[in-house]
Amino acid sequence: MTEQVLSGIRVLDLSRWVAGEFASKLFADFGADVVKIERPGEGSLTRKWGPFPGDRPDPERSALFLHLNTNKRSLAMDLRTEHALLARLVRSAHAVVESFRPGGLERLGLGPEVLRGWNPALVVTRISAFGQTGPDRDREASGLILQATGGPMNATGQAGEAPLRKPGLLEHYTVGRMAGEATMAAVLRARRSGLGATIDVSGQEVLLAGADRRASYLLSAAYSGMVAPRGARSPHRHGATFTGPFRTRDGFVMVYVTNQAFWNRFVDLVGAGDPGFRDRYRDRQTVRGADREDFLDYVARWFAARDKVPAMEAAEAARIPVTAYLSVSEVLAHPHFRERGAFVSGEHPRAGTLDYPGPPWRMERGYALRSTAPLLDQHGAGIRAEFGAPDDREEEGVA
Amino acid sequence: MTPRPTGTDVLPLAGIRVIDLTVVWSGPGATVLLGDLGAEVIRVEGNDRLSRQVSAKVTKETIAATGYHGGTYPDKDPGARPYDRSAVFNWHARNKLSACMNLDTPEGRQALLELAAVSDVLVENNSNGVLAKLGIGHERLREHNPRLIVASMPPLGFTGPMSDYLGYGPNFNSLVGIAAMDGYEEREPDSAGENYHMDEAAPAGLAFAVLAALWDRENTGNGCVIEFPQAENVMAEIGEYFLDAQVNGRDPIPLGNTDPHVLQDVFPSAVPQRWVAISVRDDRDWSALTGVLGMPGLAGRGATAEDRRARSKEIRRRIGEWCAGREPDEIVGLLRRSGVPSAEVLSEPRVLSDPHLAERGWFRTREHPAVGTHAYPGHPWRSEDFALCHGRPLPGFGQDNDYVYREVLGWPEDRYADQVARGLITDHQKA
Repeated sequence: MTEQVLSGIRVLDLSRWVAGEFASKLFADFGADVVKIERPGEGSLTRKWGPFPGDRPDPERSALFLHLNTNKRSLAMDLRTEHALLARLVRSAHAVVESFRPGGLERLGLGPEVLRGWNPALVVTRISAFGQTGPDRDREASGLILQATGGPMNATGQAGEAPLRKPGLLEHYTVGRMAGEATMAAVLRARRSGLGATIDVSGQEVLLAGADRRASYLLSAAYSGMVAPRGARSPHRHGATFTGPFRTRDGFVMVYVTNQAFWNRFVDLVGAGDPGFRDRYRDRQTVRGADREDFLDYVARWFAARDKVPAMEAAEAARIPVTAYLSVSEVLAHPHFRERGAFVSGEHPRAGTLDYPGPPWRMERGYALRSTAPLLDQHGAGIRAEFGAPDDREEEGVA
Repeated sequence: MTPRPTGTDVLPLAGIRVIDLTVVWSGPGATVLLGDLGAEVIRVEGNDRLSRQVSAKVTKETIAATGYHGGTYPDKDPGARPYDRSAVFNWHARNKLSACMNLDTPEGRQALLELAAVSDVLVENNSNGVLAKLGIGHERLREHNPRLIVASMPPLGFTGPMSDYLGYGPNFNSLVGIAAMDGYEEREPDSAGENYHMDEAAPAGLAFAVLAALWDRENTGNGCVIEFPQAENVMAEIGEYFLDAQVNGRDPIPLGNTDPHVLQDVFPSAVPQRWVAISVRDDRDWSALTGVLGMPGLAGRGATAEDRRARSKEIRRRIGEWCAGREPDEIVGLLRRSGVPSAEVLSEPRVLSDPHLAERGWFRTREHPAVGTHAYPGHPWRSEDFALCHGRPLPGFGQDNDYVYREVLGWPEDRYADQVARGLITDHQKA
């Protein structure tokens, strides 16, 4: 096996949902030994989510689980009873990632003081919706609730309509990536100082700190009372900006004209055969009222007469940021991503051969798909042989 | 090179120096995380460019002429130094230093190479190939310092047919499949408007990559190049759909605020412009919700997950009727006590006055002569074992010139004075 940058790091993943599994996936994909500790007979919640082939639930063929658990080992164990085995695993580990409700780990008798008692250099990363302290600590949440309380959702969607969440499970991934970063930072600190740490990752706070404009909107509100409006295009900016989606013959494009140079190129492109239009709009800083309506109509007609990829390529040739809305299957087949090896083929005993999203970034001895996601308890016997004392099971009364 | 730190409040990146050549959103969002961890982050800013997205020429009058509200400036006033006063920059400026360095000039490029020689990390998010064209590409930088970690964030990577494409976050969201699944339920994806999620995704990934490279450097003694294609980084967040497309031959469609497994939506309350989000994850949530609503006949309509899926619209319509007559605090209070996930969709003033965040001390009040005293967004996470940095809220443009040129680079006085006299190094932005 080729050495990777994080080879030699061991992470125990006690989480059962997207954020924790994505946090530990970052470690696993870059070489760490991630042991996924799963509930016997049931496993992670992501095994139940799907999507499944033919929409028939199968815990070994859930796309969400398969994606999030590449390069990990699975050990089914009962966290209520098998503390001797867990202690041996913890002593060999750099980090534990958990996402039980606040207090859940303590109720198992496995609070951070217990885990760090076993291994003083251990990093314990605790992921929750609202954090381990404060009046909302025990508040129930979903991804939608996280977006409502943490994300810029009040400013997304159309004016006069409901606030619109981001699609898919993006908020959980965002929280998980940040939890991974926190864990990696504390693991590096432990290496440099010998000191462990307990990390409190509040999903709400991760989203509030976000570069998707949330943090800047909050500071704008503190500075001037500004409330970012829904449906306005780019409320932060001014002057020669023209952004947003447009319909083409076969789909949509995103236009992102943000300065005078882009603006003039855009006017020249859509008004190529129309000197009157170019004279009217070239060098303009601002278009308002009927000017704006006319401009929007003109641009909308220009795109509506074209297909999305040729429209994008024409704009790109003129150096204007306009991009096509690609579907997931178009992305999978796209020569750019194919040529770059953005997808990596992996074989799984139950799911077959599939192309997985590959390296999120590239570095020497970086990402590798060493193994696809584990079957439930696939590595249990091996890990028990490696870490379990022969009499553990009797000692702990586990049959 | 770096002394081994000691003590209980030691920070992960104590003793690490980072050159920050980033602009706009995703890059600065990454370097702020490195500063939180104790790194010395030096922003290298040209006085001949809009290094902070803000022109020195902006005034209240020019703002009024464009119809812009100006709300990113304190009291909507850009003042004499707009580039020190914009929330577009200041949200990520905590802990950072600012040194004026014009990379368009040979003197500025020479200074950058000298700075690279005494730094650990350089982060840049210019368009693909910009630094190489200036003669300060990663090979050249690494010649000057083999221990340097150079992290580049080209949106579509260093290579490939689209690698030179121009664009911003919403553009690359559209190229990786996210925009096509974003929008209101049963509507076209353009109904979503703009979504800046790619910018949200990059910072923690880039910081993780730099930390991994620093970890590796402890083993090898060598720095490295990190190619961080922002589009491929965010692509991981819809990984399950790439597998689904292969297995089931389908693409995701806009679902609005709904979800395939959770009965949920966003409902208007009795108060105009205040909305409430409610999720029903399972039978327990359903039973609690119908108990609170007390609407005749409702409980039986969604007793199982299958019922709730099949009758989702009808059930959501009835929940909406209940919400429409109530204040948001009443709705959320009742549901929350019953354990049903619910929340008002928070506007900025409500976040700023949120009691939970106040008790956790999330916002930090900071004072700076350029802007006054304000509440600044806090850290994305915390530890009881060490406190992340949240020092000076922002650097005035060029505020740390003396420190960087005299102390870090050790320039003799005449060299520094000469470049100041020639206007190459200034404490103000010209563009």
